[in-house]
Amino acid sequence: MRRRSFLNRVGSWFALLATASLPYGMLRLLAPEPEAASLSGSKFGRLRGLLRPPGAIADEASFIANCIGCGACGEVCPVRCIRFHSRAGGAATNTPYIDPLQRACILCGKCMDICPTPALSPTARRDIDMGIAQINRDACYPWVDHGVCGACATVCPLGESAIGFAFANMYRPVVKTGCVGCGLCVEVCPHPSVPIRVVARDSNRSRPSRPDIAHAA
Amino acid sequence: MNKLRWISLIGVFAMLVFLPYVSVYQNYVAAHAYDLLSPGEQRLYDMVEGITSPFVSDPENDLDAIKGTTWSGQFFGVKLSDPLAVASQVSAGRRLYWPFFVTALIPLFATALFGRFYCGWICPATLLYELNTNLDAWLNRLGLRTGHRHLDRRLKYLVLGVGLLLSMVSGSVWLASIYPPAIVGREIYYSVALGGFGAGAVFFVLTLLFDLLVARRGFCRYLCPGGALYSLLGRYRVVRIRRRVDTCNDCAKCNAVCEFGLDPMRDDFGQECNNCTACMAVCPTDALRFTLKVRDREFQGPGHLGHRYRRQQPESENTACVVAAS
Repeated sequence: MRRRSFLNRVGSWFALLATASLPYGMLRLLAPEPEAASLSGSKFGRLRGLLRPPGAIADEASFIANCIGCGACGEVCPVRCIRFHSRAGGAATNTPYIDPLQRACILCGKCMDICPTPALSPTARRDIDMGIAQINRDACYPWVDHGVCGACATVCPLGESAIGFAFANMYRPVVKTGCVGCGLCVEVCPHPSVPIRVVARDSNRSRPSRPDIAHAA
Repeated sequence: MNKLRWISLIGVFAMLVFLPYVSVYQNYVAAHAYDLLSPGEQRLYDMVEGITSPFVSDPENDLDAIKGTTWSGQFFGVKLSDPLAVASQVSAGRRLYWPFFVTALIPLFATALFGRFYCGWICPATLLYELNTNLDAWLNRLGLRTGHRHLDRRLKYLVLGVGLLLSMVSGSVWLASIYPPAIVGREIYYSVALGGFGAGAVFFVLTLLFDLLVARRGFCRYLCPGGALYSLLGRYRVVRIRRRVDTCNDCAKCNAVCEFGLDPMRDDFGQECNNCTACMAVCPTDALRFTLKVRDREFQGPGHLGHRYRRQQPESENTACVVAAS
């Protein structure tokens, strides 16, 4: 009988400990992720430079409505650039994103092929629209005459049609309309402030709103 | 049969644990940089390579044959999806995308045949829930009281209906974040490949506690939207368990062992039975068998080997004698 009451006590202490540690675990799990934007999925996500995988429905709300969060796109991605809003994100929970500052898309197209839903649909490489690169000419090394670079133009998988060099200086990169926004240039940019970013393509605006930021030609 | 079911459950679960490692291994293969991996990563590489190399020649592409989870995935080139995924995509996206609907056809067909078998034979959460039931039994043996409340079984149909309505209103497939098998598959991938559990793990632990403290197998019985959908689809299933009254002895072991709280001893299986065969395995007189019928039998009365039946028989004879004597 003594043993039973002892076991009882041990069991209840264990249960109490488990219940007491649960709030801590929940807080740990629900804490915002340090590197990824917790607000992404909304328009803030686009502002913070998070991209949807290639072939995604352009309309953000429609993308969220059609993605079932199965995670297959992330599982087939050979460079594991596709990550998921796993701990926060509201309606966009479990939807995939790409943070080009960490790892950029190589446009292999496996995610578009495996996605069962209309969220990602197979798209020809040149028709992909994840956004368009934008160069801040106030920081980019060649643009402020701090040496030669050209890393972004070298790594670009689409070559001449997406990014080229300014006529006057052979090393000043200029984004062209062929850019699909894969973000490889963002990943390789050696400047600490990363003056090249992928932003949402704006078809209505032909001229840059800020003259100091180069827009697509 | 029940052992076979456990093997199936464990197999599916082991697959879900193994696939993320395969995915990470494929990343390493694609990077062509074995020498740059850390010792731990090299160990993972060697292990997965050792397991998979007899089967594939080009791991980077060939291992894509099996991908995804039970929520939606690819199995040797055939895409399979949970019918609940299709239902919630249709209601949230407000359009039927035929290629996606087709991926749910095989599960739909199998459900029409075998009923809610997914819940008992495949669902990766079921494995954990049944182990949780065992833990519950252990705690009871230790003398700790656990919850055995009974709620209304129809609650889960409400959850399904409200869930689909809410996803239509909010435009988000949020049933995916409360559906345990989807959570389990996803969270295993997150923890292995992306370095940490997501919020779904918290919800899943809460459902385990709910099962332990409120009702045995409570989430599956009373709340699971997927279980509700499978029950509805499997209402007129072809393969179902049937009690044979001539060999039944009314021992009620089947009722005690039924995870879903059904009443096999009184022929009450209904649409909720998931053909898990636990009652068949426990039956001492082999009175429960599979049959091919689309409807359950009405209550057939007490089993012919049972005490109640034996008591009833002489009684009726006695009264007959009394009537004859008078």
